[in-house]
Amino acid sequence: MESSTEIERSAAAWLARRGATGWSERDEAELAAWLVSTAHRVAWLRLQAAWEQSDRLRALAAGVSPGRVPARGSWNHSRFFRRTGDEVASEGASAGERRNGSRRAIDESRGHLRRWVAAAAALLLVSGALWFQVLRVHATAEMSYATAVGELRTVQLADGSRATLSSDSELGVTLTRSERHIALRRGEAFFDVAKDADRPFVVQSGKRCVVAVGTHFAVRADGEALRIIVVEGRVRLTTTPPETSAPALLSAGMVTVADVGGVSTRSYPLDRAEEMLSWRTGLLSFRATPLAEAAAEFNRYTAHKLVIDDPAVGAIPISGNFRWSNTDAFVRLVEQGFALHADRRGDDIVLRAARPQR
Amino acid sequence: MQYGRRMTEPLDRWFIQEIVPHEAALMRYLRRAWSHADEIHDLRQEVYVRVYEAAKKARPHSAKSFLFATARNLLADRMRRQRVVSIESVGDWDALNVPLDEISPERSLGGRQDLKRLTDAFDILPERCREVLWLRRVEDLPQRDVAARLGIGEKTVEKQLAKGVRIIADLLFGDGETKRDTRAQREHEHGKQHRD
Repeated sequence: MESSTEIERSAAAWLARRGATGWSERDEAELAAWLVSTAHRVAWLRLQAAWEQSDRLRALAAGVSPGRVPARGSWNHSRFFRRTGDEVASEGASAGERRNGSRRAIDESRGHLRRWVAAAAALLLVSGALWFQVLRVHATAEMSYATAVGELRTVQLADGSRATLSSDSELGVTLTRSERHIALRRGEAFFDVAKDADRPFVVQSGKRCVVAVGTHFAVRADGEALRIIVVEGRVRLTTTPPETSAPALLSAGMVTVADVGGVSTRSYPLDRAEEMLSWRTGLLSFRATPLAEAAAEFNRYTAHKLVIDDPAVGAIPISGNFRWSNTDAFVRLVEQGFALHADRRGDDIVLRAARPQR
Repeated sequence: MQYGRRMTEPLDRWFIQEIVPHEAALMRYLRRAWSHADEIHDLRQEVYVRVYEAAKKARPHSAKSFLFATARNLLADRMRRQRVVSIESVGDWDALNVPLDEISPERSLGGRQDLKRLTDAFDILPERCREVLWLRRVEDLPQRDVAARLGIGEKTVEKQLAKGVRIIADLLFGDGETKRDTRAQREHEHGKQHRD
């Protein structure tokens, strides 16, 4: 009789073989035959569940460049857990650490670091006022940051804030005495704003400004339209010249779209709002999103644009998390799942209903 | 790939969602009641088979109670069969009747703590295994491309994936002791049948 370990080993081998080149109908039939035995089936189901679960690692692939395997222990769970002051502080370090792959060393030295920070803070209290004046006077030149299609980039600003630029985005940053001014020229950026009540953090796009003091939010420019998602604290949306309505105050969980027609806001549970910003971790998250909209999302990240001419196809609701760097996988999935057919047209991929065969 | 249809049978989903999350508790229970550590893996498998077979006929109301009742019956059967050996040395009749509440609650699959356990599991994988799994599951590369990227054969990729998924399953579902068990088991088998 097969031992349970032998069965488990076979199940694992099937699971791995199934994804290999040359997996055929016949293999599929063989696997089906193998799975008729309950002993085989339960072992398979258990491993299958682990296999399915393992793709949740994608959620943590934040900022890892394709083709690179992150260092052990270099995970940033804080986005998924309750934030504590420590976590937010360490997160700042982790973006850089991940690049160096030296997270563990930094973890160990963090205790040390804290003591040093305390000592340094005392010193800063003395010299801080002086430095502050110097910074205010000198840091007025605009710094420009841009990303190419398919690129993400997190930049540390001189005031301690951080901006994560999505694909194909551009920011102009000017830090002055009275204001931290960010011009969003193109695309989308997520801001983690350092608290400074004296110097509002203003993200401007066209005639609209999003004003924050210290909070987390994202702003996307889509032609005339602006989309603002707040995941922590509050921001104020203003327009120049001022519209008749009072400036809108947007708080965590709110998703606001401002276009020529006006401003509309919807409140979501916070985790859903965060999900809409999962592009920062390399994912696009859809919930019954029309295929046309999902395709438009993908198109922000790739040079090979998805094109849908048929409105019936565009209306198909799509749910799930997808890696934006892998349009092909998405295309394969919708082809199989919704009887669609993908054609190449130059650089573009055209999705249309598959002609009924036979 | 078209394996989707067969893999989404309601019974299979029920098994994954209602039974597998209790694995850590089940393992603790088995360990408490059965003294031969090397038989735990086998017992777990046998419990799963019995539960699945029974659920084919009728789905139990409480998956958890049913799972532990099945485990208890199985152990009782085995103890009776092994009567030649002193009962005390094999199993513990009292431990069979542990109230369910004493065994910690099930694990939620897909929960946030789960993500932490997943990364922990991923981090203890051997280096090659870890690389292969990352490229395959996270980067979503076809296995052929994973092989090319790492300059190894596709067969090696397969072997590493098979190895990785077993380790991950143990750490994700098991009770933390499994790591030691499987290592012992693996070493044991490695000597017995080194066929790679």
